[in-house]
Amino acid sequence: MSVLLTLPIAIWSFLMFAHFWQPNRSAQIAIIMTAVFMIALFFMMMRTRSTYRWRRWFFVAMGLLFPVGFIHTVIAMRGTMGIPIEEMIAGRTPFCFLPIPLLILPAALTKTVVFPGSILPGRGMAGAGMAAMAGMWLAITIVVGKGWCSYLCFFGGIEEGMAAVVPRAKLKKIDTRWRYGPWAVLLATSLLSLALFDSVYCMWLCPFKAVSEYVAARNTLGLVQNGIFIVLFAGLVIALPLLTKKRTQCAFFCPFGAFQSIFNKTSVFDVKIDRTRCSPCVLCKTACPTMSLTDESIAQGETLLSCMKCGACVDVCPKDAAVWHIKGTEVASKPERARLLLLYAAWGMAIMFGGGIIAQGLATILHVFI
Amino acid sequence: MTIRAKLGYTAAGMTVFFAVLVPFLLMGVFTKGFAALGLHVDEMYSGGPIARTIQAGVYSIDIHRPVSPHMLQLEKAFVQLDWKPVSALPPHISDVVDVDGDGQPDIRVSFDVPKDAKTPLRVNVEVLNPRYEAMRNVGKEKFSRLIVRVDDAILVRVPLAKP
Repeated sequence: MSVLLTLPIAIWSFLMFAHFWQPNRSAQIAIIMTAVFMIALFFMMMRTRSTYRWRRWFFVAMGLLFPVGFIHTVIAMRGTMGIPIEEMIAGRTPFCFLPIPLLILPAALTKTVVFPGSILPGRGMAGAGMAAMAGMWLAITIVVGKGWCSYLCFFGGIEEGMAAVVPRAKLKKIDTRWRYGPWAVLLATSLLSLALFDSVYCMWLCPFKAVSEYVAARNTLGLVQNGIFIVLFAGLVIALPLLTKKRTQCAFFCPFGAFQSIFNKTSVFDVKIDRTRCSPCVLCKTACPTMSLTDESIAQGETLLSCMKCGACVDVCPKDAAVWHIKGTEVASKPERARLLLLYAAWGMAIMFGGGIIAQGLATILHVFI
Repeated sequence: MTIRAKLGYTAAGMTVFFAVLVPFLLMGVFTKGFAALGLHVDEMYSGGPIARTIQAGVYSIDIHRPVSPHMLQLEKAFVQLDWKPVSALPPHISDVVDVDGDGQPDIRVSFDVPKDAKTPLRVNVEVLNPRYEAMRNVGKEKFSRLIVRVDDAILVRVPLAKP
C-alpha cells in the first residue's frame, strides 16, 4: 500500500527532476540523489504514518543546501556575497519571497516596487524576476497556505535543524506574548518600508542575509547593517533554537510568516485536536516548534493562526487526538485521508521548489569531487 | 456525509489538482498577472527614464529625468547621467553638460576612465548652475551621489541643491 501511495509522487518527481536535468555530470548525480531522497522520504511517511520527522529531513537538507548553492552562484557571478551598488542600480539583486508583504503598500499606493531587482526576467542574479517569484508564491500559497513555512521556506530548515540537535530544551518557559512578534515586525516593517521607501526588512533585519548575501559595507552604516544581520542570525537561528527547541525566528520574528498566516484561509487543510480523545497531556504544545498550541486552543480543539502544518503535534500525540483535518468535515473523520491529500499537494510543491534547491546545493558540493 | 463535508473533500481534491497545475499553468498565469500590474522599480535604484541624449563625438551622454525622494526616503533628489559606451570613452572625461536642456551649461563633470573595469571610479562635479550640488572626489557614497560602472556605461548621479 505504501508503494502504491508513493507512486504518484514518484511520477511527479520524474516530471519535475527531468525539468532540472543538465548535461553536467555532478548536477545529474545530484538530481538523481535528490529524486531518490524525496521519494524515499514520502514512502517512509506513508509506511510509518509519521509526517514531521521525515519532512524535517527534507526541510533541514533544503535549509542547509540553499546557502551552499546560492553563495556559490553569487560568488561565481559577481565575486562577492556583498551586493555592490552597481548590481542594485542594474536591477540584478536576487529577490526572495520574504519582502513580498513589505512591498505591497508602496506598490499599491505608488505603483513602485521598493526593491533593487527586476520585475521581468533580468540578467545576472536577477534571474526570473520579481513577478516570477510573486507568481510562484501566489500559486503555491493557494495550494498549501501557511504550509509554505513547513514545505517551501528555504530558510526555516536551518533553525529546524538547530532545534533538532539538542535532545531537550534548556529554556522551557517562554513568555507567550513573543508569539505576537512576527505581527509586530510585519506591521513595523510594512509602515517603515512605505515611509522610507526602502525594503526595510531586507536592508536592516533579515537574519538570513548572514548566509545569503549582504549589503556591501561601503561605510559605517553598512557595517552596522551587517552586524545586525549576524547578531540576529546567531541569536534567532542558532542560539535560541538550540536553547528552546523551537523555530524561534519563525515563531517570534518572521514578518512573512505572519503574512502567510493570513493566507492560510486559502488552504482547506488544518490540524485539529479531537477533544473526545485528548487527555490533555500537552505533549503537542511542547512539541509545536512555533508555539501554535496553547492550553486554551487545545481545550477548543484548535491550533492557532500561526500553525504551519508541520505535523509535530500529530506525530507526538499518544492518543491520536491531534489530527489532520479537512475544513467542513468532522474532526477525526478519516484523518489519514486528510493527511494524504495534504501531503500530495505539499510534497508536490516541495519537490518542485525545494527539490531544485537541494539538487543545486548537492551539485555544488559534488562538483568539488567530480 | 454532510454537504459541508462533501464540499470540503471536493476542495481538498481541487487543491491537489491545483498543485499539479502550479508548474505547468498557474505559476505562469500569476507571473503574467503581476507583470501586467504596471509596477516599476523605484527610480532611486533605476535612475529614472532617459529624458534626452547628447552625442559627444564617439560616445554619448544619456540624461535621465531628475529623481525625487519619496516621503522620508533617506536620499536627496538627483539627476543621473550615463556615459557610454565605455569602450569609446577617452582615458579622461571632462565634459560640460547642459542637464536641463535650456541651452546653458549646468555642470562640468570630470573623471578618469580606467582600463581595468574593477578599478574604483572617482568623479568631480563643478557647478555652473546653483540648482546642482558640487561633488569632489566622490565614489559610491549614496544612491543620490555616486559614480559607478554598470555594464557598458559609467553612471554619474549629481544631487540637486535644495530650492
